[in-house]
Amino acid sequence: MTSLPSPRAEFLRGIKESSPMLIGLLPWALILGVQGGQKGMSWLEMLLMTGMNFAGGSEFATVNLWVHPLPVLLIATVTLMINSRHILMGAAFAPYLKHLPLKKAMAVLFFMCDESWAMGLAEAQKRKAAGLGSLNLPFYAGVCFILYITWIGFAAFGAALGPLFGDVAAWGFGMAFPAVFLVLLKGMWKGFAAARPWLVSLLVAAATYLSVDGAWYVPAGTLAGLLTAYGFGERR
Amino acid sequence: MISWDSFIVFCAMLGVTYSTRLLGFFALRNRTLSRRAQTVMEAAPGCVLISVIAPYFVSDKPHELIAITLTVWAASRFSMLITVLIGVGSSGLFGYLFR
Repeated sequence: MTSLPSPRAEFLRGIKESSPMLIGLLPWALILGVQGGQKGMSWLEMLLMTGMNFAGGSEFATVNLWVHPLPVLLIATVTLMINSRHILMGAAFAPYLKHLPLKKAMAVLFFMCDESWAMGLAEAQKRKAAGLGSLNLPFYAGVCFILYITWIGFAAFGAALGPLFGDVAAWGFGMAFPAVFLVLLKGMWKGFAAARPWLVSLLVAAATYLSVDGAWYVPAGTLAGLLTAYGFGERR
Repeated sequence: MISWDSFIVFCAMLGVTYSTRLLGFFALRNRTLSRRAQTVMEAAPGCVLISVIAPYFVSDKPHELIAITLTVWAASRFSMLITVLIGVGSSGLFGYLFR
């Protein structure tokens, strides 16, 4: 076997191989930031939120629910539900993290988002086939570094720009929210049968929105969808 | 630039999101979830996302209903940037025409 590449080279390869994803990530971060800025979030608040949470879907939802006084419990609940997929992702990652000291494993998991998880796992599986069988830490660090910096940097930049645009709702910019969410949904699409709970969520949330004040339509719709998924669970 | 209640929200988000990342690693690494539990977990993010945007589907403004229909169509075919442009563009245009 030839000598292994240096950690530095692997770190740079991680940056290089994940850079095409930035084309998708960058406008998304900007849109999140601009929307946050429009809702009154400062660039520092956006930087803190994206830096501490680092999970895009829940950040879009939070910005959408951003009214004063802030509904802390509602935002935390919605964040939990959107990010519950991380539980399965972490479990799938576990066999490749076993060899790491706990501190490093905890750091790896902090930066685990859809993109870094997919890249890290694909690379680990390739290494397994070559008999190396573990997470390539420098490679993963490179992937996370560029994704993290881009995400929080451009979101904060967007938040600083947001207030410059004036009343963007009049220009139709309010439609950016559902547009982003619908594209996220398409990414999760696994056919009509698997999407039945989503339809139930939509109907119940819409009915609740029309009949009850406040943001209760979010938990009501979600709960109805989850119960539907539970009901269909054994049949699939 | 950061209010205390914003900071509390961010700490709550950090706690919740990081817990989901750690939970799978620590609790589920040597276990397989039941089919039912897997189905519920797979459906959960979609259920939340669609619930958050549900108000757009029952808007009392006709131009927003047309725009959301176009946006659903665009999302099924195009990337995020193009979908956002179509959604924002159609909402802005029809809003202007129907005003």
